[in-house]
Amino acid sequence: MSLSPAPDSAPVSALRHHAEDEASALPPLLVQAEHLAGSVLLGDHGRRRAGMGDDFWQYRPLQQGDSRRMIDHRRSAKGDQQFVREREWQIAQTVHLWCDLGASMRFSSSDQLPHKIDRARVLALAAAILMIRAGERVGLTGGLLPPRRGNQQILRLTEMFSRTDQADYAPPEHRALIPHARALFISDFLGPFEELQLALTKAADRGVRGVVLQVLDPAEESFPFVGRTRFQSVTGAVEHETLKASALKDRYLERLAERRDLLDRLCRDAGWRMGIHHTGDNAQTGLMWIYHALQRSPV
Amino acid sequence: MSVIAGIGFTAPWLLLGLLVLPALWLLLRAVPPAPIKRLFPAVTLLVGLRDDDSQTDRTPWWLLLLRMLAVAAVIIGLAGPVLNPNARADGTGPVVMVLDASWAGASHWRALERQLDSDLTEAGRAGRPVAILRLTDPAPLVFQAADVWAQQLPGLAPEAWRATADTVEQSLAHLEGVTGGFDTHWYSDGLALEQQDALLDAFEARGHVTVVAPPAPVIGLRPPTFVDGAISLQAVRADTSAAQSLTVLAQGKDPGGTLRTLATATIDLAADEAEGETRLSLPAELRGRLQWFALQGRRSAGAIALSDDSLRRREVALIGSVSGNEGLALLSPLHYLRKALVETTDLLEGNLTDLLPANPDVIVLADVAQLPQSQEAALVEWVENGGLLVRFAGPRLAASDTARNEEHVLMPVRLRAGGRSLGGAMSWGAPKTLAPFAENSPFFGLVIPDEVTVTSQVVAQPDPNLAERVIAELGDGTPLVTRKPLAQGQVVLFHVTANAEWSSLPLSGLFVEMLERLAVSSAAQSPDGAELEGTTWSPVQVLDGFGQIQDGSSLPGVAGPDLVSEPLGAELRPGVYTSNGRSLARNAVGTEDILTAPVWPGSVTLRGFEQSQERILGGLFLAAALVALVIDAVATLAVSGLLRLGGGAAAVWAVALMLSAPEGQAQETDNPPALTSEVSLGHVLTGDPQLDQLAQDGLRGLGDILYFRTSVEPANPAGVDIETDELAFYPLLYWPISPQQPLPSPEAYEKLNTYLQSGGMILFDTRDADLARVGATSDAARHLQRLARPLDIPPLEPVPQDHVLTRAFYLLQDFPGRQRGAPVWVEAAPPDAEQVEGLPFRNLNDGVSPVVIGGNDWAAAWAVDENGRARLPVGRGFAGERQRELAYRFGVNLVMHVLTGNYKSDQVHVPALLDRLGQ
Repeated sequence: MSLSPAPDSAPVSALRHHAEDEASALPPLLVQAEHLAGSVLLGDHGRRRAGMGDDFWQYRPLQQGDSRRMIDHRRSAKGDQQFVREREWQIAQTVHLWCDLGASMRFSSSDQLPHKIDRARVLALAAAILMIRAGERVGLTGGLLPPRRGNQQILRLTEMFSRTDQADYAPPEHRALIPHARALFISDFLGPFEELQLALTKAADRGVRGVVLQVLDPAEESFPFVGRTRFQSVTGAVEHETLKASALKDRYLERLAERRDLLDRLCRDAGWRMGIHHTGDNAQTGLMWIYHALQRSPV
Repeated sequence: MSVIAGIGFTAPWLLLGLLVLPALWLLLRAVPPAPIKRLFPAVTLLVGLRDDDSQTDRTPWWLLLLRMLAVAAVIIGLAGPVLNPNARADGTGPVVMVLDASWAGASHWRALERQLDSDLTEAGRAGRPVAILRLTDPAPLVFQAADVWAQQLPGLAPEAWRATADTVEQSLAHLEGVTGGFDTHWYSDGLALEQQDALLDAFEARGHVTVVAPPAPVIGLRPPTFVDGAISLQAVRADTSAAQSLTVLAQGKDPGGTLRTLATATIDLAADEAEGETRLSLPAELRGRLQWFALQGRRSAGAIALSDDSLRRREVALIGSVSGNEGLALLSPLHYLRKALVETTDLLEGNLTDLLPANPDVIVLADVAQLPQSQEAALVEWVENGGLLVRFAGPRLAASDTARNEEHVLMPVRLRAGGRSLGGAMSWGAPKTLAPFAENSPFFGLVIPDEVTVTSQVVAQPDPNLAERVIAELGDGTPLVTRKPLAQGQVVLFHVTANAEWSSLPLSGLFVEMLERLAVSSAAQSPDGAELEGTTWSPVQVLDGFGQIQDGSSLPGVAGPDLVSEPLGAELRPGVYTSNGRSLARNAVGTEDILTAPVWPGSVTLRGFEQSQERILGGLFLAAALVALVIDAVATLAVSGLLRLGGGAAAVWAVALMLSAPEGQAQETDNPPALTSEVSLGHVLTGDPQLDQLAQDGLRGLGDILYFRTSVEPANPAGVDIETDELAFYPLLYWPISPQQPLPSPEAYEKLNTYLQSGGMILFDTRDADLARVGATSDAARHLQRLARPLDIPPLEPVPQDHVLTRAFYLLQDFPGRQRGAPVWVEAAPPDAEQVEGLPFRNLNDGVSPVVIGGNDWAAAWAVDENGRARLPVGRGFAGERQRELAYRFGVNLVMHVLTGNYKSDQVHVPALLDRLGQ
């Protein structure tokens, strides 16, 4: 994956600002944590047992070995016995993001609509902000930005998302997935299907569950073209010329449905969820869907 | 030029290009329309899809046809198509176009211009140099390119005269100056020319002569004459082949001074009749107004006959000494005058009192010495207004004391008592004859018959101005006729009697001529040269070739004999000439003129004007090609899907919007409908921007308070310019007094008074309460006095305790603004208002006070900024805020008072009424 250097800071901050805007409208996202044996780190998800965390779990009598600083004096003052206030043991979930930054995403069918890549970035970053606020560790797939928590990570993610990919259809990055983590893939999924299949299969192998969001332009859904037309991909690498574009509409829609069907089946096989978002729709609906999908994905 | 189906082509070989069209058809059919490039990331899904059919890879047949038509139109257009081409044998070498250019050709001058244009175009096409020679106004021949002449064509105009011997001579001389041969096109005006043969010889010596005959025959109108009490109108024509009926319009000014047709007459000409006559009988009043006669539908100087004095009969009032004179007719002082004038004038007889209202042109007093005082005054006024008073001496005048010692206003000279007799039985001297008339005399040039002798006369006293008043004298130098101007009129005295008693002058023809020269009468026949000897006539109105009347005052005068006898030309144009109050018309067609059509020898080519005009069609074809290409462009876009219907409609709308002229935007603040639908408070613009802004903010603050607390919901306040704005929309005007404000104009005061009388209220605010309180006056107060002085303001008093203003909405005791304490003045209560026992308020059911005057600077207390915060502090702390609240309450009360009048004043009586009703 060849990434261009990050652009100057103004668009970066604009993107972050936009994403913060989107994120501020939702309550913190609680990703259902799976109890994982391995990567255990402190997080905000109660493990239903006493441990380190912020939420109250139980009072227990002071035991030997407890330091005096651990005594909860408010509770202890009610009687003669001394109590220690225990908190719930909380761990954080790890979420991997992949946002398609390929050239095919840099497209919008009209001036009123945002580019697909813009919408994808905003959604990805908004989801990331929600999750980081909820205490999750968020990072990119691949080794470029390992999952971390904290606001600093938002900045790093923003910077990464601000890059663009020169390739026409960027394949999903599936390396360096932490086992049993969660993943969010956002793309138009118009590229080679095999790459996607490979990525999802490998992720499923590692026990990674997640969500796939297909971002499409309304024009790609409705195909409103007539007359003699030469269709080009954004970089111009792929071309197709037709003499009567309107005649292609039905067959194109057929193919699109077929591709979506394949994608859906693949997701179901791998235990993922799939959603569709159009740039003509509100970004909020996309984020809501991601929120619900991540919450409801199987434990 | 080759002609195909009535259309000629200047470059016919270009039509071969049409053969290319079938090849073009095949070529265009083979090339499909260019594809549109579209970015489409989902192209991956399209890859591998095949097109069903190849229908649209070919251009549609109708588009092809359109393009074919466009190309064909271009080819035909470039081939130079000409509709109705002039297919005439072309010559070579220079061309001289000879124009008669006289009035006779004026009625078809347009056609002639078109013909000339067409011929010049043809000559230009053939590359022949052209010279134009106008026989009426010959100039040296200049050979120029035809298109140069074509540009000068609009400058050519027919003259109002025909070619004379002089101009023909000049033309021949100019022709001599041309070396080499040339062809001649002679554009005849349709009348024979005396020197036609000489000219033809000169032309034929140089080359071929083509004569272009005009389409319409020439008709002329002879000068009108007065015969047997009717106007005789005669028309002459050159072409006698058919019967013809001509309408003559008699035109002149109506009493309102506008030119209109006063009468019409018809002249019927039978076939073979070259002249026709009709008689038009008009009342003298109408006849006096006539200016000219015109043949209807003919536009030439020959169809206009100007009228002059010959039609105009003067009204002459003859007044003798004593009515009921029993003397013999031949001895009557008026007898000879009557005989001399009856032919040419309308005579009025009676006494002066009856005749003066008829406003005659001339009044003749024969031997009248004294007039009653009132008549004399009326007569003097009549003379001063331009009348001509002619007096004759006689025994009574000689015996009277009139003008004996001092000059009488109605006498040119002082007279000696008695007069003198010459050559009588008792005297030595012989009767005196007349001396030749002096050059400055109006009679100059008249021949004096030998037999005219004077035996008696009244004699003028020698006075310093006598010499200049004498216009005729006897052989020994004694004045015979004297004249003096009197304002616009003049008084003439014949020192002899009007009968043959004192002289034989009335018996001679000279008497009549002298009366004519004095404009007492006008000649029935047009005068001959001899009669006009010694006079100079200046043109007043002249005709151009088209018969349009033009001002002739800039042209030089003409000697009298020349005016009658000389042929018309540049120096003597047809028109109306005046001299000494007489007018004489010279018309393009003379009284005896006969119009004859020219006869051309067989050696010349004779042709008429072309019926159908040449039309060059190239531009038409090229424009059609352009339109076809535009349609093609749009259609191509539509076929290739680039033109959306919506987009097209939007474009049409855009064009329509651009075409429709944008209306001036209505001013929002001054929009009366908006103001009438809502209550709007206004403040008078003082010219001080800070003060105006404060007043605006103050009224806005008051408006907010009204909106919150009452059911009055005012619109945004408006600044009112009392000079220009309509005041009727504002129930209340707030007028802060600025000493710098200029006084309004009287019109503005008029508006303000109307406003006050129709129920408006003005709140004057001098904003100086702290100064006025100590009893001093201030600049603003003095300025208020100046401002309000022209206003219609009733007597004022400080607001009484029971004034409705104190309880219109809130109960108030005083009316603070930003200042407090200054009294507020309103219209005084009527003197008969009395306090009723048991009621707190007087019954003051009068109208709303038209003015409220105070100095508490209310606007400053009301003023809020955009966020609704007070702009200016009032007082200190809570007390200040209380004061501001009271200021607002005053404002609310004021607006309530304006809007509801004395409603609250009525309400306070309700308890008393209820009490009386026993409830």
